[in-house]
Amino acid sequence: MNFKLLDSWLKEYVKTDASAQEIGRLLSLSSVSVEGIEKKGNDFVYDIEVTTNRPDLMSILGLARETAAVLKNNNIKALFSKPKFIAPQTPKENLVEIKNDPKLVNRICAVAMEVKVKQSPNLVKDRLETSGVRGLNNVIDVTNYVMKVLGHPTHVFDLDRLNTKTLIIREGRKGEIIKTLDEKQHILNGGEIVAVNDRGEIVDLLGIMGLQNSVVTKDTKKILFFIDNNDKLRIRKASMSLGIRTDAAVLNEKALDPNLAFDALVYGIKLYEEIADGMIISDIIDIYPNKVEEKVVNVSFEKINKVIGVKISPDKALNCLTDLGFEARIERNQIIAKVPTFRTGDIEIEEDIIEEIARIYGYHNLPDVLPPQQEVVPHRFDDEFYWEERTKQALKYWGFTEVYTYSFVSEEMYEGPLDEAITIQNPLTMDFIYMRNTLIPSLLKAVSDNKTYDKVKIFEIANVYFKTKRGLPDEVLTLSGVVKKEKINFFEIKGVIEQLLHDLGIKETKFKNPRKGGIGASVYIEDDYLGEIEVLDTNLIDFELNFEIILRRATLKKEMKVFAKYPPITEDLSVVVEKETNTEELIDEIKAQSHLIVEASLKDTYENTKTFHIIYQDFEKNLTKEETAKIREKIVSSLKRKFSASFK
Amino acid sequence: MEENLLSIKNAALSLILDAKDDKMLEEIKLQFLGRSGQLTLAIKEITKVPVEERKEIGILANEVKQTIEEALNEQEKILSKKRKQIIFERIDVTNPSVKPPLGHLHLVTQAIEEISAIFSKIGFERVRYPEVEWDWYSFGALNFPQNHPARDEWETFFIKESPHEKYGAMLLTPHTSSGQIREMERKKPPIRMLNIAKTYRRQSDISHVPMFHQFEGLVVDKDIAITHLKGTLDYFVRSFFGKDRKSRIRPYHFQFTEPSFEVDVSCGVCNGKGCKVCKAGWLELGGAGMVHPNVLRAGKIDPNEYSGFAFGFGPERCMMMKEGLKIEDLRILYSNNLDFLEQF
Repeated sequence: MNFKLLDSWLKEYVKTDASAQEIGRLLSLSSVSVEGIEKKGNDFVYDIEVTTNRPDLMSILGLARETAAVLKNNNIKALFSKPKFIAPQTPKENLVEIKNDPKLVNRICAVAMEVKVKQSPNLVKDRLETSGVRGLNNVIDVTNYVMKVLGHPTHVFDLDRLNTKTLIIREGRKGEIIKTLDEKQHILNGGEIVAVNDRGEIVDLLGIMGLQNSVVTKDTKKILFFIDNNDKLRIRKASMSLGIRTDAAVLNEKALDPNLAFDALVYGIKLYEEIADGMIISDIIDIYPNKVEEKVVNVSFEKINKVIGVKISPDKALNCLTDLGFEARIERNQIIAKVPTFRTGDIEIEEDIIEEIARIYGYHNLPDVLPPQQEVVPHRFDDEFYWEERTKQALKYWGFTEVYTYSFVSEEMYEGPLDEAITIQNPLTMDFIYMRNTLIPSLLKAVSDNKTYDKVKIFEIANVYFKTKRGLPDEVLTLSGVVKKEKINFFEIKGVIEQLLHDLGIKETKFKNPRKGGIGASVYIEDDYLGEIEVLDTNLIDFELNFEIILRRATLKKEMKVFAKYPPITEDLSVVVEKETNTEELIDEIKAQSHLIVEASLKDTYENTKTFHIIYQDFEKNLTKEETAKIREKIVSSLKRKFSASFK
Repeated sequence: MEENLLSIKNAALSLILDAKDDKMLEEIKLQFLGRSGQLTLAIKEITKVPVEERKEIGILANEVKQTIEEALNEQEKILSKKRKQIIFERIDVTNPSVKPPLGHLHLVTQAIEEISAIFSKIGFERVRYPEVEWDWYSFGALNFPQNHPARDEWETFFIKESPHEKYGAMLLTPHTSSGQIREMERKKPPIRMLNIAKTYRRQSDISHVPMFHQFEGLVVDKDIAITHLKGTLDYFVRSFFGKDRKSRIRPYHFQFTEPSFEVDVSCGVCNGKGCKVCKAGWLELGGAGMVHPNVLRAGKIDPNEYSGFAFGFGPERCMMMKEGLKIEDLRILYSNNLDFLEQF
């Protein structure tokens, strides 16, 4: 919540010589964040961010109190002068009877007055306009002025237009139609707080906005000045669901002090008398079923010092609290603090009191200390994040660019049956409704979003999500990539995956015909299924691998092989086989013939002929041509037998 | 014999001078000095020379061998020099190079890697916890009241699943703070956690994206005080943004910390004097605070024995603040526009 106010308005309640800049700087350090200070004539305008737990600071008086406390604790003279709100004399007559529902409204204060509608004085108009409220006429302006000074919204009805003996507070009903004072029609969802007149017409949407049928006009002669302290949760719900976010609604959805309601009434009456020729014509109505409970919090000095990290003197601590409106005293080794009614919404426990002391003492006055490491904790170097980073770096240096795509996808981009999809109940748009179970559609979209690029190499490591029978979904870290390039070759992608896994210390990578059909390959580490390479087009290939299996297998373990002392013998062997025969099966068969074959690899393929490069080596002695010839015969006969191979 | 040696020498020298490259030189060397080279064979013949002439012939043969070897070396040097001259004369160094492939890591990854390294040095252990979580971990255990606005369906994404009887609704983590409770369940103090993860909120405009990242630090140990949080933040700020930058904490409000702070970094553009980029010399970094006793209790840690601090910042924001990147619309980070990604 932001609050804008004039320095001169603030200083009506804080007597100090401190400059606006100084006040702004110190408030930021110890209280609210002053986001800007702007010069306006001879005056300054503060732009202040107030956190939602401190609605009491959405007021001139609240800020004046904090300002005085902060200045004093920085050794700058300052005095908070709080006005006294004393109820005026009134006639005994009651013009409207209000029937409250204590479940809906904590307190209602109201009074009827005769007024004269006209322009407000310039001072009022200026102050309101700087605070972001457009001046309308004096009768309306008073309601806003009171809200700004005290931090409690107020409302005013045209008493004649209201034309009722009773005002009944009840819940709004689903389907009821209202027209707010900005001439907009709304259909209630039920559960709002409304006021109803004798004829059953809704005349107010409490805490949020007045209605067109009872609003003050230029012809208004009599008003009902009306302050309602409402159930904050109902206000939040109604304001959000109807989409009416007035200043009043934003305040009323926080815990406002009901004691302020009466002060607001008294202050408003005074203002009507001053600027609207106001005259009270009824008794003051004060219905107050839900009284604020008294709250006391105790905290020991030991605890204060332990949490803050330095020793604070008891007197200093006590002053911090009393300056903020607490009734505090020291008893033995602790502080006993009675919480002011405007703070009961945010002060609950010892730590809340410590915060008040610490911030007024000044966080900037505390030293910077690293937390001591008291225990020896071993550090795991090659954790999952190490492997993830290493993988990303490898892909980067192989020309891939990393993308981050959204975890949620549209129905169109979701793969598989929708009843298995993890569905977002309240999506922002239909583009983000299902938690994805594959990264590929997102990556393909990224490719198509970059139409001007002929060559695209992208990858992503992210979670995919699968429903479980009971409990949270399985989140599976997944590595996927897409390559778009003219005449792309399957083996380039196979190579990327092989080299990547090799770099992660994984040796037993296998490629098999694709499980799901199509053109491509299924990738395995031994029997663990990793994922797929899919050839989608002559210029488009994707791959998707279960990165968690990779993480389980990745290792920094090092092995050293013995160097061969004796020279190898190499030869090439051309085999004619049926075209469908897998190279890997042939190599496995060749290798199986003798332990002296240290390597067999495919050198060339031409039509039905595959040429293998074979390396023979004996680690014990020099190999002879005769020995390798014997092995070759074994290879030839086994390939003939098992694969009906012929030889040239 | 003498004549033979001299003619071998002359033949060799003229061939050597004519040699155009190293390969030819190598052949010449073999032709004369190799195992069955002309000079080698001639030297073998020396045994057939009468004894009294043998010494003189021997000396001559050695001279011839030396001369040929020197000529070979000399010519090799000349050739090498020439070769280099040719290369250097021909190079236009402004022509395009042949580059090894080089891709790009996303800005978010780059930020995460830096942040992880910085915190690893002071003993923070990186962890990963669910992105799809129960209400309990995201709100309930973090001291959010039942009707807190963050629990509204206007702010948090909920999953269409029946709620857990103990842990409540299923949702997408709106902050990394859910990791605080997970971490407390996983291990006992001392805790020094760094949880970097995707987070989700129902918002999308030029300064908000529905999916973004956070990094969450959590320290729980005996006697952890506000001064320790200040020290840790100061260490991070000066490591990440530069040693001359300053940090400060200001009062703020969060449900799961008490006291709560907002953390600022001194502006790198104006060095804290105040400029257009910053607010009076400071830039907002994110939130922090002392772990609320109710949160410790929810994590089964006794708040009378232990205390802690936590902070949560956005790596996206940190990276932009560090580099002074002015990204007009934050959504471009996740738009996967290659024109953007390939700049970093």
